[in-house]
Amino acid sequence: MPARNAKQWDKIPGKIESGEYVDSRIYSDRNIFEEEISKIFKKVWTPVCHESELSEPYSFRTMTVAREPVMVVRGADNQIRAFLNVCPHRGNMIENRPSGSFEQGSPSGAPKHMTCMFHAWQFDMKGNCVHISRGSEGYQDRLECSDVGLRRLRCEVKYGGFVWVTLNDAIDQTVEEWAGGAFDCMEKSLNAEPLEVFHYHKAIIPCNYKLWHDTNSEFYHDYLHYHNRITGFNDSYFARKNIGFDNGHVNVGSFEVQYDQYEGFESREELSFPHLPNNHWEMIDFFPGVNFNLRGSALRCDIMTPLGPDKVMIEFRGLGLKSDTPEERLIRQRHHNSIWGPFGRNLHEDLLAVSTQQATMSEFADKRRILHGRHEVDADGDPTIHDEEGMRHFYDAWGRWMDRWPGDPELSFEEGQKREAA
Amino acid sequence: MSESMNKQNAVSNVIYKASLFLDEHRWDDWLNLCHEDFYYAIKAFSPEINYDMIYMDGNREEMRTITDMLPKHNSDNSPLARHTVVYTVEMDESQDTATAVSSFAVYKTELDGINSHALAGESNIFLVGKYRDKFGFENGEPFFMERIVQLDTRRLDKGSHFPI
Repeated sequence: MPARNAKQWDKIPGKIESGEYVDSRIYSDRNIFEEEISKIFKKVWTPVCHESELSEPYSFRTMTVAREPVMVVRGADNQIRAFLNVCPHRGNMIENRPSGSFEQGSPSGAPKHMTCMFHAWQFDMKGNCVHISRGSEGYQDRLECSDVGLRRLRCEVKYGGFVWVTLNDAIDQTVEEWAGGAFDCMEKSLNAEPLEVFHYHKAIIPCNYKLWHDTNSEFYHDYLHYHNRITGFNDSYFARKNIGFDNGHVNVGSFEVQYDQYEGFESREELSFPHLPNNHWEMIDFFPGVNFNLRGSALRCDIMTPLGPDKVMIEFRGLGLKSDTPEERLIRQRHHNSIWGPFGRNLHEDLLAVSTQQATMSEFADKRRILHGRHEVDADGDPTIHDEEGMRHFYDAWGRWMDRWPGDPELSFEEGQKREAA
Repeated sequence: MSESMNKQNAVSNVIYKASLFLDEHRWDDWLNLCHEDFYYAIKAFSPEINYDMIYMDGNREEMRTITDMLPKHNSDNSPLARHTVVYTVEMDESQDTATAVSSFAVYKTELDGINSHALAGESNIFLVGKYRDKFGFENGEPFFMERIVQLDTRRLDKGSHFPI
């Protein structure tokens, strides 16, 4: 087939069907992005940190969820709670540091309290307002501490100690219900003993958050990675299953990675996660923008914070066992970072690819079809590793949340379904 | 000039020579400035998780393996060039070993990392930090025994395949 003219280029290629591609505008349109923030990211559960980052009572972490500043604190009762990191007085951010402890006082406030530095309003670890500076003088009996507690957020610690938060008070599912069984593949490994974060770095990448999620969801791109080709491409690799779960989550099944096939690398057998077969690799792509990746000796978790239609912040965490000896931790850290660290072999390649992918989809650029029409099934008819079912499953959930058809976002989801049926 | 001052100058010179070799991707020339027991690490402290992290490490042979494998990998080939300033060189009492602290800023000049038509040629700071080096001497010439790259920059975006 020669290169195509404009008309041919605009036609659906081959026998690809509706539902086997998305419209590139879903990666670049500002209105669609704003809708995603309000319709999806403000409504769902998302992990925001790990409990090991809040190791002692009064420790805290700060972050942003769907543009809202959030603070997670461990109370004197050891309970982890989440609040909007916003003072109810003048809307100032209460805590600006990424992490720390409220055990010591601050220049504006007393020990063991969250204090807004601006006017020294103080809150306890349960979010109760306990002090308004010159309160009765200024507000008489019109406003009291009981009127101005912090905005609490629903919060659960789940799946190996991750702290999950939602801005949606009305959500009718627990984290477990929302996961819909997607963690079954690694829950036993994550919950066998306490975990600890040993790696954190962040990246702001010029791409839509879904392009990163797509890349985590499809393994066909292993052609990008010399490491994966040399350690992976064999019969058991191609037999890995793609399994969809309710709510758009996907699990990519495991196989035994041949780490020693890559020069300079070694087997992860010695430090395998509990209950994980030696050198195995399980992965969960969690809707809408989280990834859990358990590879032999280390767990990686990516949490995406969309910043714009073509900009996403990705926080990368690496976790091992809290019981690690210092020597074990060094080895685990090296295993993790040699592939997934900021100077690792694979992460740089993935981030490079999604950056150049977005470069073809700038806002108002001509729309085009982004294909995910590969079907590769095993003898039982189940999708395998290079089947693009993972992305199709994600976009089915995305379309329902957004009430837009991913292949033509100007259509409602129902209209798109009718077109597909026709 | 005293032997100590000669050695201090030689240490400064070899740090600058290493900077040029790294800028120019002359990996073998860089590693040939290093003792066979050389240890290299890129480290950073994370205030987010309150943890000293090692992003990359290896001995001389492991670093040679990593750099030899580069042609097999897809990389952002935008040149990284550093501005290095040697702050201190301290000799031990026996004059047999030295430690040095240098400050560096690594600039990336875009080539092929995103959209070359718009961005190629643009320079931005990629990383800042300090080199903490240890040296031995042979016939008065210094060689690297250890290099710890202590990064201040922790938002690393696409990252890199290249030693810093």
